[in-house]
Amino acid sequence: MEHIKVVVHLLINGDAHDLAIAPEATLSEVLRGQLGLTGTKDGCGTGECGACTVLADGRPILSCLTLAFECQGREITTIEGVACNGELNPVQQAFIDAGAIQCGFCTPGMVLATIALLNETPHPSFAEIEKALEGVLCRCTGYNKIVEAVNRAAEAIAARLKGGTSCQTP
Amino acid sequence: MSDPLKYVGQPIARVDGPAKVTGKARFTVDVQPPGTLVCRILRSPHPHARILGIDISAAQKLPGVKAVVTADDTLKIKHGFVETPRYPADQYPLAVGVVRHVGEEIAAVAAVDEHTAEAALKLIKVEYEILPAVFDPEEAMKADAPEVHPSHPKVTEPFRNIAGKTETGWGDVDQGLAESDYVRTDRFESHLRTHGYLEPQATVASWEDGKLNVWTSSMGPFIKRKKLAQTLGLPLSAVRVHKSYVGGAFGGKIDLFSHEFCAALLSMKTGRPVKVVVSREEIFAAYRHGQPLIVELTTGVKKDGSIVAQRIRTINNCGAYKGSGVVVIFLSWGFAMATYRIPNMAYEGFAVYTNNTVRCPQRGHGAPQMRFAIESQMDMIAEEIGLDPVAIRLVNARLPDEQLPNGDNVHNCGLVECIEKAAERINLRERYGSSRNKAAEGGSLRRGVGIGVSAYFGGSLIYPNSSSVIVKLNDDGSLIILTGSLDIGQGAETILTQIVAEELQVPISQISIMAADTETTPVDIGVWISGNAYVTGNAAREAAMAVRHKILEIAAQELETETCQLVLSEKAVSVTGAPERRMSYAEIYEASVRSRRGDPIIGEGHWRTMRDVPTHPSLATAKGRWTENYAFDAQAAEVEVDIETGKARLVRAVTAHDCGFPINPLNVDGQIDGQVSMALGHAFLEEVMMENGRTLNPSWLEYRMPTIGEMALSESIDVITESYVVGQPYRTKEVGEGYVSAILAAIANALYDAVGVRLYTTPFTPERILKALKEKAQADSGNA
Ligand code: FES
Ligand code: FES
Repeated sequence: MEHIKVVVHLLINGDAHDLAIAPEATLSEVLRGQLGLTGTKDGCGTGECGACTVLADGRPILSCLTLAFECQGREITTIEGVACNGELNPVQQAFIDAGAIQCGFCTPGMVLATIALLNETPHPSFAEIEKALEGVLCRCTGYNKIVEAVNRAAEAIAARLKGGTSCQTP
Repeated sequence: MSDPLKYVGQPIARVDGPAKVTGKARFTVDVQPPGTLVCRILRSPHPHARILGIDISAAQKLPGVKAVVTADDTLKIKHGFVETPRYPADQYPLAVGVVRHVGEEIAAVAAVDEHTAEAALKLIKVEYEILPAVFDPEEAMKADAPEVHPSHPKVTEPFRNIAGKTETGWGDVDQGLAESDYVRTDRFESHLRTHGYLEPQATVASWEDGKLNVWTSSMGPFIKRKKLAQTLGLPLSAVRVHKSYVGGAFGGKIDLFSHEFCAALLSMKTGRPVKVVVSREEIFAAYRHGQPLIVELTTGVKKDGSIVAQRIRTINNCGAYKGSGVVVIFLSWGFAMATYRIPNMAYEGFAVYTNNTVRCPQRGHGAPQMRFAIESQMDMIAEEIGLDPVAIRLVNARLPDEQLPNGDNVHNCGLVECIEKAAERINLRERYGSSRNKAAEGGSLRRGVGIGVSAYFGGSLIYPNSSSVIVKLNDDGSLIILTGSLDIGQGAETILTQIVAEELQVPISQISIMAADTETTPVDIGVWISGNAYVTGNAAREAAMAVRHKILEIAAQELETETCQLVLSEKAVSVTGAPERRMSYAEIYEASVRSRRGDPIIGEGHWRTMRDVPTHPSLATAKGRWTENYAFDAQAAEVEVDIETGKARLVRAVTAHDCGFPINPLNVDGQIDGQVSMALGHAFLEEVMMENGRTLNPSWLEYRMPTIGEMALSESIDVITESYVVGQPYRTKEVGEGYVSAILAAIANALYDAVGVRLYTTPFTPERILKALKEKAQADSGNA
């Protein structure tokens, strides 16, 4: 079958890509299928689980509901793009240290949603954490250790800023 | 006094954490060999129908379609969760002649892309003759019910559709009940819930040069290899199941699934890799969920609360094929007998075929349903005879070294301490009953507390019955572990690494682990029988010990001393009291290769739960030993109910658990938190709603799993009953599925404590709570 393709220009984790895609292709399909960035997970494909969360200009979006061609001109960050100079992002490290990862399928979405939260709100209240992560389902952890990870990450980032480290989170 | 433990018992971060947190961990959905075809499956729209004809010609002609298969392309070999002489396999991978539930697999397509595959499905014409169907298990048992399958030949009652029966007991229940001071009978019902694994079911199969390579989201590669080989008519050696990470399973990814078979068959037909990712809607509507049980429970007690006799009858709506339905009716008996002493018991359980989707294990596998019933009734009895919920449980709780009716022993059972500690932490004795239905400060919110207890077995004999582990020393002194175990989120790779680290005093970062590949790693019991920590863990310990022996022998020889004079630390061996007489593992490796004709120091270890028992116990009579390994727990809940809206929530959960000893306390806490969350979903939120075999809410929008907004406070208390000693076998107990049960009962009991209404059916929806409150108000005013 012949399918129409359109060429899009996407900026992903700082890299520019010119890609021929189906006009109806979602961002998650392009990331996972065409670019091999399979760290972005697809748990439902219909906007219900949040596993596919990525950042567009620093704000969380559901990549399964976003058309790829709509992302032109926006800076997309996926889980593959949050470590800095080969060192884990403090949010990633906090998820490991707090035991906030079990199967790990929700982890990329959770980490990105947390990064977005902490960029806007460096010291979130529980209600703010709740609001930011409400759309990302985790079946394994019961969320307790995820909340702990968010708090740990907030502390680590604050300490790092004090120390004047140059690494920027997206 | 041995040295304190450095790795085992420590809250060590998961070894697969970095892979998972960077997106590098490869799950089955991420496996995409070049040239992969997309597989989609045609499913029955009818709950019960005869297939009169299937026409695939139009689908085959569609450009981009590479193969279409139906039952005629298969060997028509059946499979089942249970395959025993009593319960032979009963399900074809693709329907032969009849479909018995909505969603049953009829045909499969492999095409160049998803659109083409979907379009091809629409071109397949199936002609059906609709047959009468039955959905309710008690309806299905009636003499005039539509027949899903003939009743099991050994079942003597005049019931239809009986897939299986478990019948067991001891003592004289009638006499026991007659001698009791207080007797009551209640009926409890539980509902259909799904596992909710985040990673969908998915399989990639690639047939190359006579070998079937498979990646599949599973709970153990060896069982999948066996069932695929069996249904495809291949020798075991022609199937290789590779490792991929698993995005949650909770019991739902054990059985052979038709999509796995279809991907394999289509790859064999086309010679190309074939991938199937099942949609979330399909999972909800066509896949295997848990098992709703009806439990009828009669219990007689003495004035002091001690149980004299219990009669239990369970009915399991097991769906269109046996699945694990005939196992649940057996396990439910076990979940009834393991916690309390019951001098006289009569148990019968029926698994009943209906035209619903097939059922499979789900975390707890019958325990939540059974403990909900027993523990709810326990509180009712306590209230009637004037005991508190703690006292009645302490009277009946099993004590260390008690023999169970099946010949198992509870060994160092910590149940009494669990009950005491959970009750104490939530202040149950003081709080229970004190605030019942009393208006909180002018509002509509009421709070109550409750308790429940449970026990769970681990590591029972079931194919492949044992685990082996290999530990290899590298020439730089680091280690490699080879294990067939699979990390599905529970932390298998981490705890095995900890055990090997402890035995050999090699830092975690210096140990790599190769897991879950049927060809390159040794056999493993699988991560679905709660046996990883005990069975595979002991195998890892044995393997490490074999390496340790070699290391010590060589060091003793080279350092000219006795092995008993040597100590291991930080990848080196030294002589006690003379630290300068020391050899690194790298030097020992070199010495071994030199002096032992090339021996590079490889250790192997094996473990099996019970040495002398040939097979698992009888599913029919429950006779025969089961395991060495019972974990115990008591859980307490604090629940808040809004009497105006009927909305209830779990505020706080306390889990006092005897898991033997925690190999990794961080993992154990994580398992507990996750199970508390799952149980609160069970109690308040989740239900797969079915009407005439069709799922009404096949999405997460309509099937509400707990979000972070429903998170409850979760506290845990270790009751340590076993210990880990380097060089010795240990008996730790399971933590992966035992804590979904007592907490469910505790929630039910706390709900009663809060508002004085008793719910006999899960889930505790606002409608049910409001209805019960209304009935109570009417009854109260009638009494006034
Ligand atoms: S995959 Fe996008 S929300 Fe579930
Ligand atoms: S860790 Fe498994 S879904 Fe969150």
